[in-house]
Amino acid sequence: MLINADSMKPIYVQISEWLENEILNETIQADEKVYSQYQLAEMFNVNPATAGKGINLLADDNVLYKKRGLGMFVAADAREIILRKRKNSKLNTLVNELAREAVQLQVEVDELVTMIKDTHQKIKEEQA
Amino acid sequence: MNVVVCNNLTKQYGRSKVIHSMSFQLAENKITGLIGRNGAGKTTLLKIIAGYLHHSSGDVQVFSENPFNNLKVSANTIFIDNEMSFSQGLTLKELLETAGSFYQNWDHDLALRLFDYFSLDPKQFHGNLSKGMQSTFNSIIGLAARCPLTIMDEPTSGMDSGTRKDFYRALLKEYIAHPRTIILSSHLLDEVEDLLEDVLLIKSGEKCLHLSIDSLRDYAIGVRGKTEKVQEWIDRIETIHLQDIGANLSYAVVKNDRSIKELEDARQLGLEITSVSAEDICSYLTSKTKGGIDHVFNRG
Amino acid sequence: MYLTEVKSWDIVKKQYRYKLKSYFGVFTSLVFIQLLAIFFSFNGTGMSGGASNSISYEVNYYSGDIILVFMMIWAFITAIIITTKAYRYDDFSFITNRSISHFSNILFLLSVSIFAGISVYLSTHLFQVLVFYLKDNFSIIKDTLSVTTWLTGISASTLYIFLFASAGYFIGVLIQLHRGFAFIIPTFLFGGLIMDGLGGNPTLFMNVSKFFGAETSFFLFAVKVLVVSIVLLLSSIGISNRMEVRK
Repeated sequence: MLINADSMKPIYVQISEWLENEILNETIQADEKVYSQYQLAEMFNVNPATAGKGINLLADDNVLYKKRGLGMFVAADAREIILRKRKNSKLNTLVNELAREAVQLQVEVDELVTMIKDTHQKIKEEQA
Repeated sequence: MNVVVCNNLTKQYGRSKVIHSMSFQLAENKITGLIGRNGAGKTTLLKIIAGYLHHSSGDVQVFSENPFNNLKVSANTIFIDNEMSFSQGLTLKELLETAGSFYQNWDHDLALRLFDYFSLDPKQFHGNLSKGMQSTFNSIIGLAARCPLTIMDEPTSGMDSGTRKDFYRALLKEYIAHPRTIILSSHLLDEVEDLLEDVLLIKSGEKCLHLSIDSLRDYAIGVRGKTEKVQEWIDRIETIHLQDIGANLSYAVVKNDRSIKELEDARQLGLEITSVSAEDICSYLTSKTKGGIDHVFNRG
Repeated sequence: MYLTEVKSWDIVKKQYRYKLKSYFGVFTSLVFIQLLAIFFSFNGTGMSGGASNSISYEVNYYSGDIILVFMMIWAFITAIIITTKAYRYDDFSFITNRSISHFSNILFLLSVSIFAGISVYLSTHLFQVLVFYLKDNFSIIKDTLSVTTWLTGISASTLYIFLFASAGYFIGVLIQLHRGFAFIIPTFLFGGLIMDGLGGNPTLFMNVSKFFGAETSFFLFAVKVLVVSIVLLLSSIGISNRMEVRK
């Protein structure tokens, strides 16, 4: 990450993440029409162009597809794409930070892997 | 289609140039924020576009015509500012009706609803209103007139914060329902930035930047760290802003076009890289000195 | 959003209606000034008398001329007032351009002059009635007028008032062009009259009033007044083209 994590995310990114959440928790189903950029602009109180950018971000990732004259619709495999994407970006960031911290604290790689394994195991048991 | 086109537009009073060789285009149905400090020439520029002032040289076109004293431009443009003057002989209600008789797209129902919402008194006279109420009334006229070119010069001056928020929301909803070209001037970018699509930043009568609000948010990065490390890193880089933040720490703002390697160098030097808000970028870019206000207090 | 096309004449009409409505105060001041003029007129414009043995007589002349003069001054001042910034800027809060603004002002001044011309005639009548009741009158001799004469009378009054309104408008625009004219014009006007009178044989004022007043043909009088008014108004429009529309 070049930009600090604590700095504010641009609004169009926030909008696209909000839409992703709506898709993940199935508020918007596959092949269902998503909000138009104008509806989003009203909901988030932003310029429609900014909202449009948020939608385009998802279209670029194939989460949404366009039906000519009808608007944007949720792709059939939208959930998978979003999950994969989040896995990549979020985990990568966390792993990056984790490794950095480990190096600073002089924790060797084996020790770190063991720690992760244990924690992973614990959480799985808790959830089961 | 471009609604406003300026080429080397210059306006001078005597010898002082208020607008200096400005060139830009404003596309149809966009909300553009005209941002600049006090005295940067915002109002003069807007009055030239509205057809109130002669320009001295260069070229200005609104709807492909010279706006000065032009009936077609006047019929399709509304200019809202806090110097707007209305007849003292008419009540607010009569003024709304008069405005309605002039503007073809006028939405009287909307005007009345807004009038009601902001609790204006129909029997009151414009001159007796407080500054904030005058601004509110003028803005209602600006919204309800639905002019293809709507110019608002500091429309919220004097309004309380609740009214400001309501007004900006009303502006956005009106814009979505009836898209039009809007120029919104303000010295507070923070307040309007979410509404804007483009920003035109001016500094002492000259164009500084004209780009989309999203590009502006990515325009620059800030670097913070030990003063000597910051100095080392920015050695050959042009800074937009450089500030001593005390305790041997410095903060520098540079254009966001550094290579990956340079950024990696910065990290090696222990510098923290942050994003810079649009408001801050504007204030750094239009500041007279690179050190900002701190510069004044550095006598050493 | 599509552009609207507007016709100049439509906007002139709208601005004119806006002005009629919003300059209502002008009509209030008209009524007030006429009452004042009637009051002044009670002193009479002339008096003669005589006595022989047991008879003494006194003749008082009363006329409505003062009312007309007051109206002319009123029109002059009203015209100056509507050229001031506060009034000019009112137009530009709505659709207009400078020619339309001037044109609607001129229409307004014309209507006001007609209204004043008619009211001069009416209040002269009111005045006569008041004189009849309030003064000790042993006998009143009143000029009787035919319909054509009073129509001519009203038109002449209107024209005089409009002439003064045009002059006021011209001077008002000059003052708007440069504040200095507010001092220069009265200086020249009164200075000229004083210089003229110093020789003991004033001619300037005489000639000007003779140019209009001594005209026996109503038609020629009307032409003279209208030509001078139009020249004054066109010059006003010409001068104002050198100014910014709204600062």
